[in-house]
Amino acid sequence: MADYSALKEAVIEGNAAEAKALTQAALDEGAIPQDVLDNALIPAMDVVGEKFSAREFYIPEMLIAARAMQSGLALLKPLLVAAHSKSRGKAVIGTVKGDLHDIGKNLVGMMLQGGGFEIIDLGTDVKPARFVETVKAEKPDLLMMSALLTTTMTSMKDTIAALKEAGLRESVRVGVGGAPVTQRFADEVGADFYAPDATGAVTKAKELVTA
Amino acid sequence: MKAEMTPRERVLATLNHQEPDRVPLDLGQAAGDGITTVAYRNLVRYLGLPERQIAVKHTSAQEALVDEDVLRRFRIDFRFVEPGDPDRWTDIPVGDDSYQDEWGVVRTMPPGGYYYDLTGSPMAEDGTMSAIANHRWPDPEDPGRYRGLRERARYLHEETDYSVVANLNCSFFLRCFELRGWSNFYMDLAANTEFAEALMDRYLDIRLRIAELAMEQIGEYIDVVMVTSDDLGMIDRPLISPPMYRELIKPRQKRTFDFFKQRTDAKLLYHNDGAIYPFIPDFIELGVDALNPIQLNAVGMGDTKKLKAEFGDKLTFWGAIDTQHVLPKGSPEEVRAEVKQRIIDLAPGGGYVVCSVHNIQPDVPPENVVAMFDAAYELGRYPITLE
Repeated sequence: MADYSALKEAVIEGNAAEAKALTQAALDEGAIPQDVLDNALIPAMDVVGEKFSAREFYIPEMLIAARAMQSGLALLKPLLVAAHSKSRGKAVIGTVKGDLHDIGKNLVGMMLQGGGFEIIDLGTDVKPARFVETVKAEKPDLLMMSALLTTTMTSMKDTIAALKEAGLRESVRVGVGGAPVTQRFADEVGADFYAPDATGAVTKAKELVTA
Repeated sequence: MKAEMTPRERVLATLNHQEPDRVPLDLGQAAGDGITTVAYRNLVRYLGLPERQIAVKHTSAQEALVDEDVLRRFRIDFRFVEPGDPDRWTDIPVGDDSYQDEWGVVRTMPPGGYYYDLTGSPMAEDGTMSAIANHRWPDPEDPGRYRGLRERARYLHEETDYSVVANLNCSFFLRCFELRGWSNFYMDLAANTEFAEALMDRYLDIRLRIAELAMEQIGEYIDVVMVTSDDLGMIDRPLISPPMYRELIKPRQKRTFDFFKQRTDAKLLYHNDGAIYPFIPDFIELGVDALNPIQLNAVGMGDTKKLKAEFGDKLTFWGAIDTQHVLPKGSPEEVRAEVKQRIIDLAPGGGYVVCSVHNIQPDVPPENVVAMFDAAYELGRYPITLE
């Protein structure tokens, strides 16, 4: 197996230029794109997630690592698509209606990408109807909603009800998160899963797609 | 029971860690201690007070300017003075739901929302030194900011016995996120550090110049300075690592606190949301006299007994009445019980000012606001013998 330790380091340290250069170098030397993803980028982001859980990395370090990962991933993506490689899973993510906060959601999205998932990010202020339309059209494995305000998190319940009404509830696993969200709230609104931070969200997501 | 003190004496005693006659009360006179316009309208009606046009003290948070009759009803011990709006700038409406301020920052209130959030950052596309040089910065010399300031401060000091708070808010950390965008500035701190430092310095230059000109007008009349409202925490941990804080943010906070210490003996108040427990010793080192709002539901901030034991000899706690659960969802009896508990934990030895953990939100019933302040007035008498 190729030695990806320098590329992994570049991602963990958040050096985007280096991560891009090393990814290109690996491809130039004949590396298989899926291999670079599975054995360099994904393990690097696992380390980043662990460091966040361990309170060694905070948001700045997470974001630059994710950016470095994305700069490598950007080179792999067209080749992965051409090779018809399957992602680990597909997740639709968004911040709920009336809520403009997105850092947490963006972090989860980046960590999921770094975990081999395909992400459809609907942005912020997403109405229940739009979540439902997207689930219908994209048939994702996961729908993950974020809220930062106690006044907007109620929209999560509305979205789950809308999925039921559209006959789509059983087709997708629904996760919720954000500062005011708790396990208890997740249970009350009928979500399938909850995690208190980005690392936890990715762990849960991985468990659900392999289950 | 002690003889009744004036509000100014009461506040001074508690900020000096002496027990006054009772715990001082605050509503909307500093920062992170107020009431939203919706909750305020409900409160005015509930109190049976005359309807009035409600003025907004703080646009983005939709915080109400609390009127004199309400302040007196609740026996609030403080009155504030702060720089006014500049003559040569008016906020620019953007579409139906947004506005741009004098720093170039755009904020939006989503339909059905209660306040404005950041949606446009003027330096989002450009994180280079030239972006700082080319940005249209506000003019600290604009006379509109200082008009009437001296008269108001002098009036409060000489004609009233309230504790006078100067809101000079020299935040720079959060403001740079607003100028660059949240993700961008986080990444600047980690990987574009020279730019991040230059941006914070440039911002602070302007803020401190405004503070300097304001202090020239009011310095001799004030008792408390609300120095900064730079949040450093999220719900479960700091926004940035302690080493990053100490390297990039703390020196600039030192510049700010030293600026005030050199110019006034007034007590220094710092508003800081979130899980900021790891930084409390740093704040004490900087010369922070009082910390607000003590966000109870943030990790490390909920055990008020522990916080008092660890820091109570040096730090005044300003806030600590729960706004996530008790104020919006509790009964008036539960509100009273919450106030009682916080007084038991934080008031002994002085060093406690009662207010809610940040602004009273639209969903707080007015009877709970009344319960909070009436309980604090009745139960906050020294010596504290409550159980």
